[in-house]
Amino acid sequence: MSIEIEAFTRVEGNGGAEIIIENGEVKDVKVKIFEGPRFFELLTLGRHYWDVPDLEARICAICYLSHSVASVLGIERAFGVEVPEEIMLLRELGLLGELIESHALHLYLLVAPDLFGYADAIRMASKHGEIVKEGLTIKAFGNYIREVIGGREIHGINVKPGGFGRYPTIEELERMEMQSEALLKLARRAVGIFANQEYLGAKAEHYVAVNGYLYGDELIADDGEHFDYFKCIEEKTLPYSFAKQSRYKGEVFMVGALPRVILKYEMLTPMARHLYEEYKEKLAQGYVSLNNLAQAIELVYALERTKEIARALLDKGFEGENVPIEPKEGEGIGYVEAPRGVLVHHYRIDEKGNIAYSNIITPTAFNHAIMELSLYEEAKKRYGSSDEMTFLQKLEETVRAFDPCISCSVHVVRL
Amino acid sequence: MMLKLGVFELTDCGGCALNILFLYEKLFDLLEFYEIKEFHMASSIKEHDTLDVAIVTGSVSTQRDLNLLHYARNHSKYLIALGTCATHGDVQASVEGKIREKLEKVYGTRANPMKALDSTPIVQHVAVDYALPGCPYDKDEIYQVLMNLAKGVEPPTKDYPVCVECKLNEYECVLVKRGIPCLGPITLGGCNAVCIKSQLGCIGCRGPLPKEANPASEFEILKELGYDEEYIRRKFKTFARGELRW
Ligand code: SF4
Ligand code: SF4
Repeated sequence: MSIEIEAFTRVEGNGGAEIIIENGEVKDVKVKIFEGPRFFELLTLGRHYWDVPDLEARICAICYLSHSVASVLGIERAFGVEVPEEIMLLRELGLLGELIESHALHLYLLVAPDLFGYADAIRMASKHGEIVKEGLTIKAFGNYIREVIGGREIHGINVKPGGFGRYPTIEELERMEMQSEALLKLARRAVGIFANQEYLGAKAEHYVAVNGYLYGDELIADDGEHFDYFKCIEEKTLPYSFAKQSRYKGEVFMVGALPRVILKYEMLTPMARHLYEEYKEKLAQGYVSLNNLAQAIELVYALERTKEIARALLDKGFEGENVPIEPKEGEGIGYVEAPRGVLVHHYRIDEKGNIAYSNIITPTAFNHAIMELSLYEEAKKRYGSSDEMTFLQKLEETVRAFDPCISCSVHVVRL
Repeated sequence: MMLKLGVFELTDCGGCALNILFLYEKLFDLLEFYEIKEFHMASSIKEHDTLDVAIVTGSVSTQRDLNLLHYARNHSKYLIALGTCATHGDVQASVEGKIREKLEKVYGTRANPMKALDSTPIVQHVAVDYALPGCPYDKDEIYQVLMNLAKGVEPPTKDYPVCVECKLNEYECVLVKRGIPCLGPITLGGCNAVCIKSQLGCIGCRGPLPKEANPASEFEILKELGYDEEYIRRKFKTFARGELRW
């Protein structure tokens, strides 16, 4: 016998799960990603490098800018191009805006209704309008940054190899500095709210992240390893899912906010670091539902860091000039921390500047195995001891903690 | 009386559904007229009811998508195809080759247990009442259409190219002045020429201008600027496939 979760709700994209029961016990869980494949690697093959980041943005709307930036970093590495610090800071600013927008969406609109017992944030708003409004305000600010840096709230084309189409103005940076300061208070409160969630799901055997906080040039893991993704991570295809599954050195691992704050707490900004210390022991429990608390701490981080970067750019001033690019044959990987975790864009480019090989691995694909394991453990724990409604509800909450982005997950390929 | 609204997502990036949430306060204005019966990104409510308005985003890329689309059509009075995935197929529909070949390249096998299909826009499968392109669409557009429907007014349609919006904003023409490949002249406006604001060329995300577009002359202009034919061909079909009137 089996129980079906036909479609996960309050998550991005189309997926569900099958819980297989034998002799009154949970035997297996399959996380089915039935979002159709969109073949991005094939789409970009043979395309001119300049156009590729704009296409890759379409992989996912919630984290389009992470895709653009990862794509641009991969392309620049392939050509051996280095850009000045100001361009990297502006890219980081964009990534921070995306983190703010995405975490606020997830925490306030998708997870909070679970904590307060509603089917959605719209219904929750009648009693807890304040919280929903705060969430929307933070989210709108994240989108403002995406619009300025990325060119549009969704699928902007402003992030380009070598720089930007348009650089932000002084006024825009000043507004970012001011607003991030003002919103910090709200984000701190969020940490308190999401610290109280119960433990759900499994504990990952390993954590994997990018070496820098939001972008970098290699991956790191909790065992001290520094590596390129293809060295320690293996992918396999499943008959019931358009997303593949991967393992780190053969074991189930996790990417995302929880691995980030744990592996990289030293890079956190002062207030975020303070909050991390406060909840350190709780986070170390490692249950995947703690990802929500880690996201709340990262909201604080992102707002503080936005303020820092905006101020630094205002003080230093910037040229606003792109680095010219001469196409040549090469290979490069861009590593970015999308809001949901490690994102990899890997390209080989020919001497004319056209893409000859591309491979993209997204956080939800990296997390597919731990997501399945988490549902399995949660189902085993609860089956028979709670009514079916609560049982299914808790499984959905477990999935939601990953903030899965299913559209993203179905493009994994190696050519 | 409250109208019943369903938002159905087929295969896509989630942007068109997300963009509805990006309406912020305006979303709450809409909720004075609409009751959400299905919107899996935002709500756990699923009431299989007859709907007044069904919004469908994404392209038909699996058998499941097709079934869901028929369900939405059969259970709604008005069906809105929202976003370029729904209206023209978007990027996934421009990937050439047959589905099994594509699966083989990506998953290493021609087997198709999950019943993937070659991506097609929803307008190819069912009759739609309104088609609003854009990758993503301009959120004020959907707001207007939903408000108009709630008030019984026929929603207006747009029929001018992106170039018009450049002129209104007094942006310098990137095609003529800077030789950047810009599809603005043959792309349906409505985005306020946002990419040209970034001094970049329009990549055609709102799909081709329905009537007066002149793709042949755009083709010639780009060729004269030194872009090769294959490059132009790919650029033209990125969001709207080959068979559209580029
Ligand atoms: S039209 Fe564009 S924004 Fe909308 S769902 Fe499709 S890919 Fe996403
Ligand atoms: S300018 Fe072109 S590519 Fe940019 S949003 Fe408008 S239609 Fe889309």
